[in-house]
Amino acid sequence: MISNEAKKEIDFWVSKYPEGRKSSAVMQALTIVQKENGGSLNPDLINEVADYLEMPVISVQEVATFYENYNHKPVGKHVVRFCHNISCMLNGSDELISYLEDKLEVKTGQVSKDGLVSVKKVECLGACVGGPMCQIGDQYYEHLTKEKLDNILEDLT
Amino acid sequence: MSEIEIEIDGHLVKASQGDSIISIADREGIDVPRFCYHKKLSVAANCRMCLVDIEGVPKAQPACSTPAANGMKINTKNDKAKFAQKAVMEFLLINHPLDCPICDQGGECELQDVAMEYGSDVSKFNLGKRIVPDKGIGALIQTDMTRCIHCTRCVRFGAEVAGIVEMGGTGRGEGVKIEPFLTEGIQSELSGNMIDVCPVGALTSKPFRYEARTWQMNAVQSVARHDLVGSNIYTQSYRGKVKRVVARDNDSINETWISDRDRFSYEGLNHESRALKPKIKVDGEWQETDWQQALQFAVDGIKNNAINPDQLGVLASKHASLEEFYLMQKLARKFGSENIDFRLDQTQLSTGSSLESSINLSEIESVDHALIIGSYTRLEQPMINHRIRKATLDGASVNTMNSKNFDFNFKTKCDALTAPQKLLSALQSVLKAVHLKTNQDTPNDVSDVTPSEIHNIIADDLIASANGVIVLGEHLNSNPNSLAIINLIEKIASATNLKIANITISGNSHSAEKVNFIPSGNGLNAISMFNDNTKAFLLMDVDSEYDFIDSKSAQGHFSKEDVFVVALSSFENQSTLRSADVILPMASFYESSGTHINFDGLVQSYSASVKSPGESKPGWKIIKVMADLLDLQGLDYVDSTQVKEEALQSSKVKSSVDEANIQSIDDSQVTTHWQYAPYASDSVTRRAKALQESNVGMINRAYVSKMTAHKIGLSDDDLYLGVPVSIEESVAVDCVFIHTNQARRA
Repeated sequence: MISNEAKKEIDFWVSKYPEGRKSSAVMQALTIVQKENGGSLNPDLINEVADYLEMPVISVQEVATFYENYNHKPVGKHVVRFCHNISCMLNGSDELISYLEDKLEVKTGQVSKDGLVSVKKVECLGACVGGPMCQIGDQYYEHLTKEKLDNILEDLT
Repeated sequence: MSEIEIEIDGHLVKASQGDSIISIADREGIDVPRFCYHKKLSVAANCRMCLVDIEGVPKAQPACSTPAANGMKINTKNDKAKFAQKAVMEFLLINHPLDCPICDQGGECELQDVAMEYGSDVSKFNLGKRIVPDKGIGALIQTDMTRCIHCTRCVRFGAEVAGIVEMGGTGRGEGVKIEPFLTEGIQSELSGNMIDVCPVGALTSKPFRYEARTWQMNAVQSVARHDLVGSNIYTQSYRGKVKRVVARDNDSINETWISDRDRFSYEGLNHESRALKPKIKVDGEWQETDWQQALQFAVDGIKNNAINPDQLGVLASKHASLEEFYLMQKLARKFGSENIDFRLDQTQLSTGSSLESSINLSEIESVDHALIIGSYTRLEQPMINHRIRKATLDGASVNTMNSKNFDFNFKTKCDALTAPQKLLSALQSVLKAVHLKTNQDTPNDVSDVTPSEIHNIIADDLIASANGVIVLGEHLNSNPNSLAIINLIEKIASATNLKIANITISGNSHSAEKVNFIPSGNGLNAISMFNDNTKAFLLMDVDSEYDFIDSKSAQGHFSKEDVFVVALSSFENQSTLRSADVILPMASFYESSGTHINFDGLVQSYSASVKSPGESKPGWKIIKVMADLLDLQGLDYVDSTQVKEEALQSSKVKSSVDEANIQSIDDSQVTTHWQYAPYASDSVTRRAKALQESNVGMINRAYVSKMTAHKIGLSDDDLYLGVPVSIEESVAVDCVFIHTNQARRA
């Protein structure tokens, strides 16, 4: 269920677009709903967003599956969104992702046993100058090395 | 639009500013390969197959999305264009399974055709191909999404034509999948057209799967007879059986589309209950016999039971052909009986033909307003509804007066929920409002009516409309005051200068009216026929369980000892076996030649697509022989064309509506409105397995509002007259709206 607070937040975004263009707020709506649901979406929520914005549900699904920032399976408390595009890859992102997977005993897309961290490969986050890089929450971590990753993970609670 | 001149492949061509290059090429007969472009859908330009070379433009451009400009020099076949097209083809084939030998589309596949010309025999791509799991989208369409090339024609068809967005492209990059959100199956009544628009074998016909190869089949031009439109179709048969029906282009009737009912109903032809041999009932036991004996038995029975000629009743379903209607009425009238009717599903019968429509099909899409009274147009007359939807896309508003708010595929502006027993007074209120607002004189019968708010809104829209239409639909047939209602609608239309689209009748009813397949003089109609005097019946394709508005009294009358019933029928079921004394097996749809007269009055003839199975014979031939055996003169025709020509000479009788005849109904009582779902419309459709298993085919609900449910003690999922109840606020108060494929029980 979408809470009333979430609906209020969605309404704020809807109000930014001209009358009758509710569907323009679909990305924000999905983001809000995903956050409220602990970081992931499910078919029921997608249905509800579609109803709320008066859109065909498949159109919401198209958006929700196109962008990497929506998750369709439950995620950990923190999601390590690791860039694997060209600049990061040339700077060794593949090796770091494997290191992360081994350390957390997960594969990308899975949640660590304690439910704290999940790892996701994402497309370019626009910080090529700092590659290899990843995003956790609203924070970018750049010029990553194994040591840096160890420290970052230690700080996650 | 200004005229321009361009050069395509060396030909100078005139065109309008803004025409796409591909549409000009198509007009000129220049072949440009394409997958995503479809003349009736929006331009997506995502397959890139139609790349052409334009002089002065460095890269090849897609012909579908590039508008022609004056002086443009286009080359569709030079090295640059061919190189681009071949490169795209190679990309498109990267993930295509190339499983043509086991693909139903093989032989009629656009990808196969284009690959023959533009494909290479070696691919540079040697990695694994992707596989897409199939979700399953219902009983009508088979999906093999691994074959999909993401042209999005089906997605655009849903959004733009069907009006229900069901398919979509999810994921991104190599992971893109064309799929519906859930696996509940497609809801659209036009879904089969996705099969036609799909350029590859991703969407194919499920009932047709592995039945035949396209080049093995014999295609015959035919006309669909399930609704008033008479959509143009091809029937494709293999070894004497209809295996598939596809659309045939006709812009003034069905454009490029046909409804699922027209497309998939053929399955009923091969149903196990086909009547294959003549049968007679002797001492209550059914015996198979030959034609000669059966006909003699039938004729003797008629002669012995209808001692006076007016003791014979002749009834036919509204789906018979013009020729059959004509011969049946001629037989009856030569015999001396005026007891003739085809209007089996109406509560009140007029003395003449039904209210004439004053608009034609292609005009409907340009109306600025439509008022729909008593119809779920989307399911009842899909192609007419499609035109209304097109009008709404151009800004037309639609109001409805129905006993339930239906899922139209367009937005309605104002829905006046009206229970059947209140429709007459509601229309009086609308008429009064119209009169008040336009300062017209008010006739006596509505003088003391005070229009309610919603009826004022409806009247306002009618008056404001310059070019609108009032659509009156099937639901009026079961209304006890249907004649008075239709009369009122006519008055409203003339007071507001609106056109009328009468879709209360369906099938081939216009043919029946053309040849006066209704009683005249003292003749009895389909309601009054079931009295003690009528002792012999001749029925054509009539199922007494489904077709009569009062099926109980019809069935009761037919099964009386002293009533003799001759049934010309394509099928044998319990109700036919119970009510008939002779079954004469008749050819069904697509098995005999005939003529259909559609909504526009257009006369369309068709020839037989296949031979009828077993010993069954075309209906018109059976009647002709019966007339011979009854010693009736003037029915010795050589072929059906002769019958048709004579039939078209007839002129129909106009109706004179008796206004005084208004039934007073206690409108506080709860009424039951029994409405057949669309796939119960005729004997063939009722036996089409896949249609019955589709979403529309499984409609079986008694809808009732909370208040009314409380009043008559119903709750969710109770059975009401054998139909499960749904409590919804979309139903008029004091009304139970039953929408079902089950035979009528009330």
